[in-house]
Amino acid sequence: MKKSFVFSGSGGQGIMSAGITLANTAIEMGLHATYLPEYGPEQRGGSAKCTVVVDDGAVVSPLPKQCDTLICMNELAYAKFIGDLKPGGMLVANANRIANPYERSDIKVIAVPVDDVALALGDPRTANIILLGILAGATGVISRMFLAEALKRKFGKKLAVLEMNIKALDKGIELAEDK
Amino acid sequence: MGEKRFMKGNEAIAEAAVRAGCRFFAGYPITPQNEIPEYLSWRLPEVGGVFVQGESEISSVNMVYGAAAMGTRAMTSSSGPGISLKAEGISYLAAAMLPAVIVNISRGGPGLGSIQPAQSDYLQATKALGHGGFHAMVFAPYSAQEAVDVLYEAWDYAERDRNPVFVLMDGCLGNIMEEVELPPMKELDEPPEWSLSRRNGRDWQGNITPIYTEPILEGLNAMAGEMYKSWEDDVKVEEYMLDDAEYVIVAYGIAARVSKEAVDTLRARGVKIGLLRPITLFPFPKSNLRNLDYSRVKGIIDIEMTLPAQMREDIELQVMERCPVYEYGRSGGVLLDDDGVLEAIEGFIEGGENNG
Amino acid sequence: MAEYKRSNLIADAPSGYCPGCLHSLATRLVSDVICELGQEDNSINVISVGCSALNLLYWKGDFLGVAHGRAPASATGIKRTNPERLVFTYQGDGDLAAIGLAEIVSAANRGENFTVIFANNQTYGMTGGQLAPTTLIGQKTTTTVYGRDPAVAGYPMRMCELLNTLEAPQYIARFALNSPKGINQARAGIKKAFEYQLAGKGFTFIELLTNCPTNWKMSPLDTLEYMNENTIPYFKPGVYRDKEAEVK
Repeated sequence: MKKSFVFSGSGGQGIMSAGITLANTAIEMGLHATYLPEYGPEQRGGSAKCTVVVDDGAVVSPLPKQCDTLICMNELAYAKFIGDLKPGGMLVANANRIANPYERSDIKVIAVPVDDVALALGDPRTANIILLGILAGATGVISRMFLAEALKRKFGKKLAVLEMNIKALDKGIELAEDK
Repeated sequence: MGEKRFMKGNEAIAEAAVRAGCRFFAGYPITPQNEIPEYLSWRLPEVGGVFVQGESEISSVNMVYGAAAMGTRAMTSSSGPGISLKAEGISYLAAAMLPAVIVNISRGGPGLGSIQPAQSDYLQATKALGHGGFHAMVFAPYSAQEAVDVLYEAWDYAERDRNPVFVLMDGCLGNIMEEVELPPMKELDEPPEWSLSRRNGRDWQGNITPIYTEPILEGLNAMAGEMYKSWEDDVKVEEYMLDDAEYVIVAYGIAARVSKEAVDTLRARGVKIGLLRPITLFPFPKSNLRNLDYSRVKGIIDIEMTLPAQMREDIELQVMERCPVYEYGRSGGVLLDDDGVLEAIEGFIEGGENNG
Repeated sequence: MAEYKRSNLIADAPSGYCPGCLHSLATRLVSDVICELGQEDNSINVISVGCSALNLLYWKGDFLGVAHGRAPASATGIKRTNPERLVFTYQGDGDLAAIGLAEIVSAANRGENFTVIFANNQTYGMTGGQLAPTTLIGQKTTTTVYGRDPAVAGYPMRMCELLNTLEAPQYIARFALNSPKGINQARAGIKKAFEYQLAGKGFTFIELLTNCPTNWKMSPLDTLEYMNENTIPYFKPGVYRDKEAEVK
């Protein structure tokens, strides 16, 4: 069961950190994972992309051409990477920044206004946690329990922040189940 | 059992170096290897070691030269453009017979090239790391775990030979995060007798020099030549599904991972294909390649993340025209990918069958 | 009056320096001070490239031969890992002020706790007398056959003054070795620099004005006079930085 995920967007959207958390959580669950970031030369605001490969055994190639799940946080990323999604794959699109994520008919699309949802939760920085919630709800590769554990490790000392992130996680799962 | 961690390749290299006994690092910032100096800048002082950010790659490698002369396990790292600058110091390390470890997390070249990953420094690493006609053992791990294993042993080879050891990886492997198992901290020995340290109780004059009078230098170079030959016993290679292989991919580092995936995919379709993966690029696994059964092998496929292929000449010297040698690569910071490699291999096989 | 004999750190062999060359005197002063401080076995001479490299042939203490210009970098590697040792570089003007400019300025700026002995003879001696960064205006060399012209070769570089713009150095001084008075001052300066180092205070820099009878194409005696008339007026001897004296 080899599954590949590409997270794409721009720097500052929490793309890389979402990818690391996904890979880390998969490992906590007893799977194997690689995380490979790709940066532009800019330190801020440039394009950001990372590839996560999850497998039962050790990951052989960390460089799939086509991914099973594509997460796009803005129009630029969508235009650049939509062609790399496998037929039958799943697109998670930030509806706030992508005008029409339904161009391909051979894929499953989960379009969520991630920015709005995060803002409604109280912090735009929870956008990437909402994404992880969506992945947990829609793909089943990672579980809520292990993601919640990862968030506890990360924000354990800041209870208010942890609470908000758990809320974001559950909101993501809920959104995925609605679709 | 070791300690498991989810780590970036560059950080795994740095931690493995510390556990191998490295107590001095000097380096200069360059993408895509910055996590190595960044990690060691706080980690080395924790174990009584020293980190210095040099004013240049030239300066950094010469700091390593000084620390190595004292018998300290020392290391520097860089990427292609910086390795060119270190060429002077690496040659001096070889001349002065000083052990040290140099890591190249390579990127697109030539020139300033690209900050994206590439395997563009094979020829530099294996043929001429500097002036004067010397060699260093060149290791090319293909995962964060194998990088840990290589670094953990690197100084053992360097000190055995009193010669620098070179580790060649690329930006993908430097920046990939994956699970590694870390070995325990090594106990440090006393500084060796040949070193300039007096912590080992030496009470006679010690001297180390990169310059010699003619007959001595000739003798040392001849001895070095014998040493390079003896490295044939140190060849490390992985042979994957070669027993009945009609097509053999030769690839190292990141290219070998993508190639191995292709072997798995093609085997599932019934194609008799395997992978010969050099883990040491120098010494090159000559006999493994030379002694393949060429009555069965129909083609050798050289896959590298660089254009044109750089390992090809080393391959051809062993294949000796007994079958065709094909090459496929990407370059300039464009990465290899599973589909591209698979299609290229299928194309070579199809073409080969049609011609045969 | 001290007994005049060969220093313990100098081999009983010809130095290799040309007759009348002040390099051998500079080396002698350094070795004398090391012995006086009881540091024969604790010192490490980081020997650079140029005529300074002749040290390789007759220095009897621990030494490390290093790349051209890189002595301050290699000394950094030595001293940082072995802070108990008395470490010094011995460098000429081409080595220190041209190819090794980044290394000397950066080591000084980091305040590395070693001593730099800088022999300034205004030319590249070993390679046959080419233009050095310190060559005087009008001075003839094999690559400035009509004399140094500042329009094409710039001006002689003053290293003490340049390093004196940095915060970290503890002691910076220049001495001329063409007179007994200068020699005695140099010996005292070298001692002070080594004492600073042994006390762990930081970077110390001693510039010694020397000569090159062979490449200046003068008799040794004439070089001493030439130094009085030309070198010393441009490269003014003196103590440029003495952190301890400043405190007092």
